[in-house]
Amino acid sequence: MPIRKSFRLILVILGLAATVAAQGPKPIKVEFTDVRLENGLRVILVEDHGAPVVSLCVTYNVGSRNERPGRTGFAHLFEHMMFQGSENVGKGEHFLLIFNNGGTMNGTTNEERTNYFQTVPANQLDLVLFLEADRMRSLDVSQQNLDNQRQVVQEERRLGLDNQPYGRSREKLQELLYDNFAYKHSVIGSMEDLNAATLDDVREFFRIYYAPNNAVLTLVGAFRTQEALAKIRKYFGGIPRQPDPPPVDVTEPEQTAERRATVEDPLARLPRVDIAFKTVPGNTPDFYALQVLANVLHGGQSSRLYQKLVREKELVTSISGFMDEKRAPGGFYITATLRPGARIEEVEAVIAEEIERVRREPIADWELMKAKNTARRAFISSIASSLSRAILLGQYAVYYGDPNVINTRLERIMAVTKEDVQRVAERYLRPTNRTVVITIPKAALLPTSGQEEGGR
Amino acid sequence: MRIRITVSFCAMLVLSLSWVRAQGPGGSQMPGPTGQSLKGAVIKGKAPVNREILRVRLPRPQEARLKNGLEVILLEDHRLPVFTMQMVIRSGGLADPPDHRGLAQFTAALLREGTKRRTSREIAEQLDTLGITFSATSGLSSLTSTVSISGLIENLEEALDLFADIIRHPTFPPEEVERYKTRTLAQLQLQRSLPQFLAQERFNRVLYGEHPAGWTVPPVESVRRLTSDALARFHATHYRPNNAFLAVVGDMTLRDLLPKIERFFGDWEPAEIPRVEIPSVAVQSSRKIHLIHRPQSPQTVIQLGVLGITRTDPDYFAVLLANHILGGGPTGRLFLNLREDKGYTYGAYSSFTSSKFRGVWGASAAVRTEVTEGAMREFLYELQRLRDERVSDEELENAKRALVGSFALSLERPQELLQNIITQKIYNLPADYWDTYPQKVFAITARDVQRVAQKYLDLTQLQIVAVGDAPRIREVLTKFGPIEVLDAEGRPLSALQ
Repeated sequence: MPIRKSFRLILVILGLAATVAAQGPKPIKVEFTDVRLENGLRVILVEDHGAPVVSLCVTYNVGSRNERPGRTGFAHLFEHMMFQGSENVGKGEHFLLIFNNGGTMNGTTNEERTNYFQTVPANQLDLVLFLEADRMRSLDVSQQNLDNQRQVVQEERRLGLDNQPYGRSREKLQELLYDNFAYKHSVIGSMEDLNAATLDDVREFFRIYYAPNNAVLTLVGAFRTQEALAKIRKYFGGIPRQPDPPPVDVTEPEQTAERRATVEDPLARLPRVDIAFKTVPGNTPDFYALQVLANVLHGGQSSRLYQKLVREKELVTSISGFMDEKRAPGGFYITATLRPGARIEEVEAVIAEEIERVRREPIADWELMKAKNTARRAFISSIASSLSRAILLGQYAVYYGDPNVINTRLERIMAVTKEDVQRVAERYLRPTNRTVVITIPKAALLPTSGQEEGGR
Repeated sequence: MRIRITVSFCAMLVLSLSWVRAQGPGGSQMPGPTGQSLKGAVIKGKAPVNREILRVRLPRPQEARLKNGLEVILLEDHRLPVFTMQMVIRSGGLADPPDHRGLAQFTAALLREGTKRRTSREIAEQLDTLGITFSATSGLSSLTSTVSISGLIENLEEALDLFADIIRHPTFPPEEVERYKTRTLAQLQLQRSLPQFLAQERFNRVLYGEHPAGWTVPPVESVRRLTSDALARFHATHYRPNNAFLAVVGDMTLRDLLPKIERFFGDWEPAEIPRVEIPSVAVQSSRKIHLIHRPQSPQTVIQLGVLGITRTDPDYFAVLLANHILGGGPTGRLFLNLREDKGYTYGAYSSFTSSKFRGVWGASAAVRTEVTEGAMREFLYELQRLRDERVSDEELENAKRALVGSFALSLERPQELLQNIITQKIYNLPADYWDTYPQKVFAITARDVQRVAQKYLDLTQLQIVAVGDAPRIREVLTKFGPIEVLDAEGRPLSALQ
């Protein structure tokens, strides 16, 4: 079988002897083998004998971005169907086999991709390959299983959103932030759309998106690469390729005026402010500068927003945020939950003031160093387990066609300058690019008198 | 160097592996679990399973002790240039004065808010600039308080300097104490909007009463009463080298580490530590439903259970297996029944806790309001079945394979290994405890499982907490026992009784 692309990086840290601190930070690289089978399945292997385990991840290039109006939540509902049985594996048998042999497993869906992963003792390699191949080749689902999992997913939505304070706020923010339908709805979807899903939808979705040429298989752990590759060919080689799925339009028009909404929440007790700015796709120069900026604004207790809002002015109980990574323009998010008695306008004004400051003046040297050290630390944590390496390699292969992004992203953060940070703050964190959702606790419905603070 | 090395093992994470046959009735064919226990799943039995359990030898730590009594435990791991350190103080919430619940927790939380050499802001900036993660915690009924840092090995010296300063010289500045108080009171209010929090809080309360474990968060009066002096007193009394051990995992050797520990902690003064009495746990009460009214909840959060065992109870391994079969994950009976068969919930699980006092053995799920009654019936059915029927050989065998097989995975998580070692120290478990763990698991029989189910899962003593929209579920819940309706603050709601 032809190997389209195969290379081995030379530097590998795993297993290297300790060096002294004076020599500076150790270079860290993830060495991998990258092969494509004839049916289009991309296979990435990392041989690592650091522990007697293997992690297998199959990443399908499909997520909620591929959904159409009236069928939101389908990609994630489908993820559940992948545990409901195939030709040689019964409903639920997949997780019984993995857990009963000392392993762990799960599947996850986001806007960009759906992945299925398991970590098992190294002697169960055949088992995990068989299980993943069988469902890629021969998913077999019934109306009864679809109805059952539809209910489970609806409970998942209630658990995560409908029965939680602020559950609706993040969904509202997403709807307001994006113009393009691909990203304008939540991954979990709406109850009505989940109810509308049919068995034919499931079969059609499987045919289009769950083909080997729309998937990346990553395997990390204690195996011999050539032997593992032979097994992968044996289990997956015969699964036929399918026509390429239709492309997704991810274009997003430039935002020209602030957007704003209010959510009344009967389950919340304190007001909350959610702010988002539309930015750039992942793995772009501005994306890395924005990650540094996020760290300066809300990373840890030394951050500007924590110091100002939590400590100095005592306006909020918590402040947090993140910069997300998508193939479409991502969001730069800030969330502040107010203290009792604090005014929403004041909290918003202080956040706006701090944002104006990073747009006006360069950040401090220590702040840049903090962002870089934090990034290096986070990167090392992210490759510590075989499973997280398998997940990341699959993700970068699907997002950017380049699993080696695992090795280049830290360098790109290290290259960010203070000027870059100020430039992206100026470019993206402008008031006309701002989207704000305010959550107001709806008047208490408790039959007893007023609410007391805290305690029991 | 004033260092005495007490034990020294070769502790590189070099793995000694063995492939052993599973004990029990397995054979080389995958015997596919059968029977009623698996409603919700279908077993075709065609997948290629390796019947041999990959047994591993867990790495042994190296230990040393400074002259002032501070014990040091190191697990070398040279796979990545990072480290994690935990200073475990052998005093936690159980050492709180009875009129000041939460003092251990407050002390831990405020350590980082100022030292003799650094302000709160300087500490935050220095920790973050070095890329260090820091945490300090203690529970209201915990045996210990733990201060942890982790970071890049090249920053070890600076990290230790900060770590030692925070642990040894906190000043608890009065203005920071005031800030902490207002912040904590607001957070307590916020927590009360979370259904899982409300369920847990009431559940602990009804099982433990006034025992420290009956408190999930500190009482408001305790927060209000907090002073810098009280914190300083707790710190001076309990944060002593002879009342602590330092557990480390990372890319270093004991030879590198010890001089550094000596430099930063060698002159830390020991002192006499007051003895903490472990309070005994109240007698179980008779079955009761505690319904917390949370208006407009689309789900009912159900949590139920009874008092269980201590960590060193001879029944520990039987309960471990019984709990795994009942609901210890996605292969448990509760998950397969309530989720995969009925579609009532996203997940239903059981779990047990254990300490030097009796823990709890219980189960929980969040289910949509309409199926509250059905879910209650299935919970009670599964608890009763564990008492009435012997578990099948296959089910027991699978649980054993799951528990022992997962040891291979723990070798990828050095911090989990370190946690095992800490547990061993805190409960004075034998040195070969983790090495002989597989044998102890394999020794459990179906008869043992049934025996502990009958001994502990007494359904006449079951305490049931439900958090949901009371008018919609009160009626059905009364079918399961006497009921009391409360609001989120724990006050009786007579209008809804």
